[in-house]
Amino acid sequence: MNKKRPITISITSGKGGVGKTSIAVNLAYALMNQGHRVLLVDGDLGLANVDILLGISAQTTIRTVLDGEADPLDAVLYLKPGLGILPASSGVPEMVSLGIDQQEKLTTLLSDITSHFDYVLVDTAAGIGSSVLWLNHFASYNIVILTPDPTSLTDAYAIIKTIFTQFDRTLFYIVLNLIREPKEGQKAYETLKKVANQFLNLELEYLGAIPEDKSVKEAVRQQTPFIQKALRCPATRAIMLVAERIKNLRAD
Amino acid sequence: MDHHDKPLQCPYTNNGCPAIAEIKQLKQECERLRKLSQHDPLTGLFNFNHLMNTLETEMERTRRTGLSTGFIMIDLDHFKRLNDTFGHEEGNKALKWFSDILRNNLRRIDIPCRYGGEEFAIILPGIRLSQAVQAAERLRAGLKDSPIQLNDKTINISASFGVDTYASTEDISVEAFIKRADSLLFQAKSKGRNRVCYDKQKITVVPTEVTTEEKDLLFSLRYRDRLS
Repeated sequence: MNKKRPITISITSGKGGVGKTSIAVNLAYALMNQGHRVLLVDGDLGLANVDILLGISAQTTIRTVLDGEADPLDAVLYLKPGLGILPASSGVPEMVSLGIDQQEKLTTLLSDITSHFDYVLVDTAAGIGSSVLWLNHFASYNIVILTPDPTSLTDAYAIIKTIFTQFDRTLFYIVLNLIREPKEGQKAYETLKKVANQFLNLELEYLGAIPEDKSVKEAVRQQTPFIQKALRCPATRAIMLVAERIKNLRAD
Repeated sequence: MDHHDKPLQCPYTNNGCPAIAEIKQLKQECERLRKLSQHDPLTGLFNFNHLMNTLETEMERTRRTGLSTGFIMIDLDHFKRLNDTFGHEEGNKALKWFSDILRNNLRRIDIPCRYGGEEFAIILPGIRLSQAVQAAERLRAGLKDSPIQLNDKTINISASFGVDTYASTEDISVEAFIKRADSLLFQAKSKGRNRVCYDKQKITVVPTEVTTEEKDLLFSLRYRDRLS
């Protein structure tokens, strides 16, 4: 068994509807395409999303494992030899706030499973609930997704500030989504960085920006990751670039 | 009207019925025994027996109502040393003094108990963890503000606190719940005493507020970009 520890990365946003899950799914495929073993954890524990984007239906979920009804390793659904999904359950509101017992169980569950992978991407729920914070705390790296809208900027800043004050995290990775012109991503990032620098004295690192792209919407409708479908579209190229930068992160 | 509340009346005589006198005495004895079985004679607080029964009931209430039950375990710091220095009589005085602080700083529905020795426990029905932690902090501050006279010496006694809540979704026994609070108390003691320990992760996190200054800068920079 491989003893090497995986690189765990949370993908979070503060607010919903910025394309978090879509980016998580496509990043998982991008890393897998490059020969890495990737586990994608649907961290939206009460309102699963990943399965919808991928058109799969899971019988065994994080929930059933936590309830002791399934073996952790059986819960991982392999879409490809190098890509596992740990699905969440839908419509289970109590999973949104994690009690201490569940946190302990989830830690055991995740550490049992994750040793088999090179990268673990955790797609968190929207909002700032305890499960979102806990998963961000669990992950070694935090990627914050936002769109260039001022409201999305504020939400991203709010979750950064919360994780920073709660867990003393001082480095965050930023991905802009749904940008309309090439420089928009970098500019929005600079704004966020400047405010985070000035008020919180913490570092941000830019991982890239994904342009608004027709083929993304189409891919969602067809329940296929766009990166597998539209090989040359701008969004695919942008995701590949983000994946390249993720490969510079090291396990701690 | 409850028939227990009616004064006992002999149907035959108004004066000196021996049976009535006997019953009255038995009733008083029952009341005395009931108190004795539920209370700690030294401090007047509830005893361990009553604690276990009440905690069981309150946990059941939590499962029914969804309102969590708070539980605080307390240990007076360095009590053995105090006993050795001042003697057991003064030690007992300290225990009574602490019981008064408990009684004066809790809600009327809270149930303060002597767990044993210098250990105390409080059941706080229908409370959130953050509120239970506040209650413990209030007691800790109460100790600081009320020094005690022992053998003509004024001293301060502190205490360590372990605070936990039982949520309706949890499937654990009374004993397991107590054990959890006890391990938090142990944490408080091993971290240097005179503190309140609880599970920080369990408190629902209130998102850190983004200040107006931060918002203003985010917005102004962003709009400037858009205009340029």
